[in-house]
Amino acid sequence: MIELRHISKSFESKNDEIVKAVGDVSLTIEKGEFVCIVGPSGCGKSTILNMIAGFMPPTSGEVYVDGARVDHNVPPSLGYIFQKDTVLPWYTVRQNVGLGLKFAHAPKRDIDKKIDRLLRLAHLSDFAGAYPHQLSGGMRRRVALCMSLAVDPKILLLDEPFGALDTHTKTHLHSELLEIWRELGQTIVMITHDLDEAVTLASRVIVLSTPPSHTLLEEVIDIPYPRDVFELRQSSQFTTHIQRVWKILGNQFRVAA
Amino acid sequence: MSSEHVQIVSPEMPAVRASRAQPRRRSQGRLRITLTQLLILAAVIGVWETLTRITWFQQNTIFDPFFISRPSLIGERIWTWMQPGKNSIWSHLASTLNATGIGLLVGTLSGFAVGVLLAQSRFWAKVLNPFIVSLNSMPRIAFVPLITMLFGLGLASKVVTAWFMVFFLVFFNTYKGANSVEQELVNFCRTLGGRPSQILWRVRIPTAAAWTFAALPNAISFALIGVVLAEFVGSTTGVGYLMTTSLATLNATDMFASIVVISLIGVSLVYLISAIERRVLHWSSEFRND
Repeated sequence: MIELRHISKSFESKNDEIVKAVGDVSLTIEKGEFVCIVGPSGCGKSTILNMIAGFMPPTSGEVYVDGARVDHNVPPSLGYIFQKDTVLPWYTVRQNVGLGLKFAHAPKRDIDKKIDRLLRLAHLSDFAGAYPHQLSGGMRRRVALCMSLAVDPKILLLDEPFGALDTHTKTHLHSELLEIWRELGQTIVMITHDLDEAVTLASRVIVLSTPPSHTLLEEVIDIPYPRDVFELRQSSQFTTHIQRVWKILGNQFRVAA
Repeated sequence: MSSEHVQIVSPEMPAVRASRAQPRRRSQGRLRITLTQLLILAAVIGVWETLTRITWFQQNTIFDPFFISRPSLIGERIWTWMQPGKNSIWSHLASTLNATGIGLLVGTLSGFAVGVLLAQSRFWAKVLNPFIVSLNSMPRIAFVPLITMLFGLGLASKVVTAWFMVFFLVFFNTYKGANSVEQELVNFCRTLGGRPSQILWRVRIPTAAAWTFAALPNAISFALIGVVLAEFVGSTTGVGYLMTTSLATLNATDMFASIVVISLIGVSLVYLISAIERRVLHWSSEFRND
């Protein structure tokens, strides 16, 4: 379980002004939930993820993961997928996926077994020996996901992981992500600026306001899983949720512009 | 989480990836380029050879074989040098190559080590910054007589001079490389359970090494320059020593023959390193020099 208690975060800008990105956000995310956070740019979406991961402390307020206060240390069994490529170019796909297990000095046989399973899950088995520069952008995303999954995270934080991909690749990855989530049952918190993506994947969508941000809306998406990401978009339920969220979010975009 | 670091001096930039043309057209283009290059080379050598044989040019222009020798004479001289015996070049060549190799190795390893170490501590990088910048901006040539005075006429002063030339180049590039590791990548590895020392070995050092490799072709030239300089100033062996004796005896043919030998050493070493680089850095299109 992830708890944010009245967190705020200010940054010092280049000309020494204090900019408050996160105003006052409180949020409770239950075990096994898939939560998407949307909001206008600059509202501190990534900052919130960084604070949950222990990369930076909040200016005020507290973050708890499974009851333990998060400050400067990464909570155990937490995975984080960045928008940027975070695969190591000098390792093969196999070596990349095994990196976390190497860090933990796991026995080689266990590492091999686990890598094989993950590569099958992510449809990467044929590319085990390839180097990242030989892969497409979508494949590199899947490698990064496998790297994370290899250490069995109970919580997955995804920071606009599919932002730079085309719609076709994105939709396929959505379907794979849902499959993986249903099989492994992590708690997922995902940042996105794509409202369709949020409603497609999440069990709950959080809308943040313009900075200094606070929570504007918590929309529970009651479309049952397993969802068919290709059919979903045509359903009336989907459209209703989009419209409800958009009424709030679109307004924020107008304010931000 | 800014990636701010202490900027010391702009390093060598790694080679930019080359654009891809169609393979067939590319090989045709390459052949034409090579042919034109050979043509230019042949023209220069031909003009040099011909004009130094014409009396009028010998008397009225610079084309006097006493001063600029002649390609055929130079070729002949190199051939004689290659024969075993009293005038053989092999001992000189070995002496220069040996010093260059050791200087390059020591300079690269120490530059790499200091670069990686200093990138770990912002405090020490800031403390040492002014010293490094001023040492680097001093004309290194000014130290060669001092180095010869301190280390004598043998191998030691050649190696020290070469090291002095190579060290800063490699150091700056490695330092920049070690600092170029993105914070996201480090944070990602932290979520995978990596401790700082593990992230150093598996992430920071490989990144820095790629930048070190990008500096190596230049480092070779610098090492060779250092060794030849030390041989100029005070030595009893080496190709640089051959050059100073040619100057003392006003022997243009010996002089040019030595220059050709030195150039060949430099070019072959750069090719050797490029070949190694292509193998080691096969994963990176950014750092490969092809």
